Amino acid sequence: MNELLRKLRMLFHRKQFENELDEELRHHLAMKAENQPGGAGELPFGNVALLKEESREVWTFVFWEQLAQDIRYGIRSMAASRLFTAMAVLSLALGIGANTTIYSVIDAVLLRALPVRQPEELVILNFRSKGDVPLVRSHWGSNYDVPGGGRVSPNLPYPALQLLNENNTVLTGLFGHAAASRLNLVVGGQAELGQGRYVSGDYFTVLGITPATGRLIGREDDQPGAPPVVVLTHDYWRSRFGADPSVQGRTVQINGKAFTIAGVAAPGFFGVSPDEKPSVFLPISTLGLVEVQRTATNFMTDDHYYWIELMGRRKPGVTLAQAETQLAGVFHNYVTDVAKTERERSDLPVLSLQPGGSGVDALRREYSKPLWVLMGMVGLILLIACANIANLLLARAASRRREMAVRLSLGAGRFRIVRQLLTESLMLALFGAVAGIGLAAAGIPLLISLMTNGVDEFTVKVGLDWHVLGFTLLVAVTTGVLFGLAPAIQATRVDVTPALKESRASGTGSRRHRLGLRQILVISQIALSLLLVVSASLFVRSLSRLHSVELGFNSENILLFNLDAGRAGYSKTGAKQLYANLERRFQGLPGVRAATTSDLPVVGGWASTTGITVPGIPQPPEGQRGPSTSVAEVGSTFFETMQLPVILGRAFQQQDGPGAAPVAVVNEVFAKKYFPGQNPIGRTFKLGGGDDNAMNVRIVGMARNARYNSLKREIPPVTYVPWAQTPDTRRLNEMFFELRTSSDALSLANTVRQIVHQAAPQVPVADITTQTRRIERTIHQERAFALLCAAFGGLALLMACVGLYGSMAYGVARRTSEIGIRMALGAQRRGVVWMVLREVLLLSIAGLAIGLAAVWQTTGVLKSLLFELKPTDPLALMASIVLLFLSALFAGYVPARRAARIDPMAALRHE
Amino acid sequence: MGTRPDIPSGTLHMLILRTLARLGSMHGYGIAQHIQQTSDDVLQVEEGSLYPALQRMLLKGWVVADWRQSENNRRARFYQLTPEGRKQLTQELHDFDRVISAITRVIEAV
Repeated sequence: MNELLRKLRMLFHRKQFENELDEELRHHLAMKAENQPGGAGELPFGNVALLKEESREVWTFVFWEQLAQDIRYGIRSMAASRLFTAMAVLSLALGIGANTTIYSVIDAVLLRALPVRQPEELVILNFRSKGDVPLVRSHWGSNYDVPGGGRVSPNLPYPALQLLNENNTVLTGLFGHAAASRLNLVVGGQAELGQGRYVSGDYFTVLGITPATGRLIGREDDQPGAPPVVVLTHDYWRSRFGADPSVQGRTVQINGKAFTIAGVAAPGFFGVSPDEKPSVFLPISTLGLVEVQRTATNFMTDDHYYWIELMGRRKPGVTLAQAETQLAGVFHNYVTDVAKTERERSDLPVLSLQPGGSGVDALRREYSKPLWVLMGMVGLILLIACANIANLLLARAASRRREMAVRLSLGAGRFRIVRQLLTESLMLALFGAVAGIGLAAAGIPLLISLMTNGVDEFTVKVGLDWHVLGFTLLVAVTTGVLFGLAPAIQATRVDVTPALKESRASGTGSRRHRLGLRQILVISQIALSLLLVVSASLFVRSLSRLHSVELGFNSENILLFNLDAGRAGYSKTGAKQLYANLERRFQGLPGVRAATTSDLPVVGGWASTTGITVPGIPQPPEGQRGPSTSVAEVGSTFFETMQLPVILGRAFQQQDGPGAAPVAVVNEVFAKKYFPGQNPIGRTFKLGGGDDNAMNVRIVGMARNARYNSLKREIPPVTYVPWAQTPDTRRLNEMFFELRTSSDALSLANTVRQIVHQAAPQVPVADITTQTRRIERTIHQERAFALLCAAFGGLALLMACVGLYGSMAYGVARRTSEIGIRMALGAQRRGVVWMVLREVLLLSIAGLAIGLAAVWQTTGVLKSLLFELKPTDPLALMASIVLLFLSALFAGYVPARRAARIDPMAALRHE
Repeated sequence: MGTRPDIPSGTLHMLILRTLARLGSMHGYGIAQHIQQTSDDVLQVEEGSLYPALQRMLLKGWVVADWRQSENNRRARFYQLTPEGRKQLTQELHDFDRVISAITRVIEAV
């Protein structure tokens, strides 16, 4: 029989054990008394209770039994002070809930790995350069400047894929992929827009994705001339085909071309960009088939066209740095071969690798900073909550001094009592965590819809998985120890004898002139909440600045939507025809006061910029940026419809059509920049720099400055041209329609859909919204941020006030008799109020001073998130300080008044 | 009564085991008495250590206990060595000898 079994048996014979031990000790005493007659009572037998306890401990699972005991005791003491428990659990729930919510998003957006085989082996191939790379004649994709200089882009030329695939010793596989422009998907006569990805033949094998049904794209599909096949994502298969198992072999029309469905990808697989929600995967070789307008050059052989994104899988044992060295060498030889001129050699792209386990990082770059800032804020809120509860616990510890003294004098070890108090704190924290998880479950969808402004583009699955719950547990335990340890230690630092002699009601001697733990906690709470309130007011101020930006046109009551006839198979001429016809139809529609079109949404985050040649302005030397303008191709009624005033010359007219001389309207910035001090009307310039689509236009009008693509950016020089006059070779795919309505714009949405469907059934109406909402969407991040920060700032303020109130109220309660004596001795009520408020004032001022120093140190990180606002904006600072100060005074005034109401007789009799 | 030296830590188990080996079976009080008398009152076993030690030895399986009538007709718990306890005693005695002779050598070295 081993020890554990014996122990277990003991559990079931507890009573017997106790009795036997008792009897044995009685026997011992009796024997002792017999053999040493006369002094039995004085014989040292030590502490019988302790002896029994220790004898028993040998047998038991001490740790667990004591834990169970502590938990039972904790529940009893929680039940005994319900208000305290409720307050503590509530503030913890808010703190932990906020942390869990933000963390779940961080986890999903910034930390989570792709749902593929061994994601940690994946690497993303980028190129770095000093600036614009002369070698790159055409770039489809994105780039971003890195701090410390230089630029990074994920887009590479297609020949590099083949070259790196054949000449690497560090990867087990390499694949290429590229985002498709929005695709027009027609299944069974029903048109729909969807996202897609072009993928190379090795895409699925390298990632280790299996088909849910059918087969996936392989090398044989990614060949020029191979029959076009498409792989559906699981989600799309379910939503569009009802998870039909016999879908393989059916046909989907993609931008008017027939594709055979090869199969369906594994459930949950969304590609390698967590922010995308593609419907289909297409072989790269079909790019030319699907997107004619993108493939002016030969995209599979051009060494100067940078567009494809590459990802590889490292061989086991090969480090990122080793892989980078090898691949960068191959790439360097390649670009050195391609570079022909000195200028091209001046800034050759350098291949660099980054870990690809979480996929491509566009989303991460956009959200990482705001999310970490939010995480910091909720972390501070939790700290305030901790300080709050520590404060309450300190107050309780003081009122439990007698209990502690009794227990210590009965022989309880200090460690044992600290442990028991800590158990109570941890229980509070865990209750808080459970409630917090409940709050988070409600908060996560709210946060997501706030972050995305209800736009269904955010496909990252945010939720409470074990990852997040583990984090919550960790936070709960940390907070429990954090707010529990100091009060627990202080509680057991009791001098037993005086504490036992104390009456129940009276507290410790006054120590108000010393800076106790209590005061330090209040000061730090005020300091922390100042930090949060300042951040909140900064973001709110920033948002209101964005809202008060003058648009330059009237955005009210405009219905906005777009059509893309080119994608549905229309020729350029046919598309223009359709757009013109529809524009006329809408102009005559009842309820529509004016209607127009534009090739991009105004203030919609889109921009189209092109070089110009202006007579009299010399072209800059090669390699430098020449004069340029932003362009909007618009319908002839654009200025009237948008109510954008043309302040000089004329607006467009019906006769500015295809046959007539090309005209343009420029904005004030344009006129001032390129025709300073002159009348721009009648001038001509060449629009389109050096490329084939350039055309000479004559300025017929000057429009007032209006925001072009963003509220946050300076108004650029803008040239408006009628799209009817632009050459067919220019990029003209989508067309945005703007309908100025006489009442609620969205009420016309269905009518519009019907009209479009009658005129062109294959052309879906996309992005139907109002102009105001479209503009809102460009600042949704700022709006979400301001809202969240305001909420968090308010929460912090509330918690700090509750903390201050609790601390002062407790102080007043403890000093009831002192105040009673003072009043009996003639102290005025006003004096009593002042006595309490003085402490509040001192604590607040100290807290605000420290908080201000912290603000000075830290708000610099917010700079890039603010719109035309310094992080030390005096108005935001002043407002926050005043708000916090007044709230603190209010929180302190309530206990102060209670102190003044103390009846001296009652207070003294109480003693 | 002058101060008595404490029982060196770690030797209490050995003393109890040795006592039981000599007496066959004995109750707690008897064990304490025996140790005290045999050591000419130098070693006194505190109840506070004796009973937890006995419980620990029961748990380890070095001793077994049963209730019997004591010499003066009281019901008492008598402890008795198990074969395992005997082994343990040999081991502890052996270790103790080594330690003591080592200590002696250190002390007597000139």
